[in-house]
Amino acid sequence: MTVPAADEGDEALAARAAAGAEPAFEELVARYQARVYRLACRLSADEGEAKDVLQETFLAAYRGLPAFRGDSRFSTWLYRIATNAALMHRRARTRRPTESLEAFLPRFDAGGVHAAEPADLLAASRADEILDRKLLAEKARAGLDRLPDIYRDAFVLRDLEELTTAEVAETLGIDAAAVRQRVHRARLMLRGYLSDLVGVKP
Amino acid sequence: MNAGLACVDGVEILMDYLEGTLPKADREAVEAHVSGCPRCVAFVESYRQTPRILRAATAATLPEDLAQSLRRFLASRR
Repeated sequence: MTVPAADEGDEALAARAAAGAEPAFEELVARYQARVYRLACRLSADEGEAKDVLQETFLAAYRGLPAFRGDSRFSTWLYRIATNAALMHRRARTRRPTESLEAFLPRFDAGGVHAAEPADLLAASRADEILDRKLLAEKARAGLDRLPDIYRDAFVLRDLEELTTAEVAETLGIDAAAVRQRVHRARLMLRGYLSDLVGVKP
Repeated sequence: MNAGLACVDGVEILMDYLEGTLPKADREAVEAHVSGCPRCVAFVESYRQTPRILRAATAATLPEDLAQSLRRFLASRR
């Protein structure tokens, strides 16, 4: 049995894994486990749920590999499985009521001019310099929890996992314009939220 | 159109502007407005930094014991 080489492409590994080569599958797990876990944490309620999503993703990938045709990249295919697993968990649980982030949207005067001054408008970009790292990590997680789900999913995939807009559209089954609209709303809310964290009205 | 674009209009189409999907006339209107508006310059900068800050702050690392339990879990089901 061929030992997977470090430079062997994902799709070649996937083809060998689909044909029953266990080391090829193990190499794919090794390559993607950290990324799938990170994605799972960003989409899930807590670490316990993220762990379940991680396990279910690779089990589903293992079982689904024979059907993987290589129409999309292996990573895109795997991300779709992971996202679906996370969304299934979410549907199965009762959503905790969270306070909306609507209040953090930018404000304008009657003429459509930003209500805040330039220095205050800029404040969000310095949140990571101003706030303690651990505190920011906690607050960032809470911020994601407060986003409406459809904005969170698009934002996580596009801006946090850095998929292309087309890949996010494919993963979520929506069109590119809808992805842009949702990511935009999420950015606006989170920008205001960061601003609020550093003590400035957005 | 777009003569006298206001901040609120620019914010509305900012994502499309950054993604390069706006028609040329709209793109130029955004640039013309922002270049003369310190508020929008500041806003755009904070809008662009928001994903970076959230990305760094939510980058969970996979604990080694979880990687091991994943291997055990997969081995038990193959």
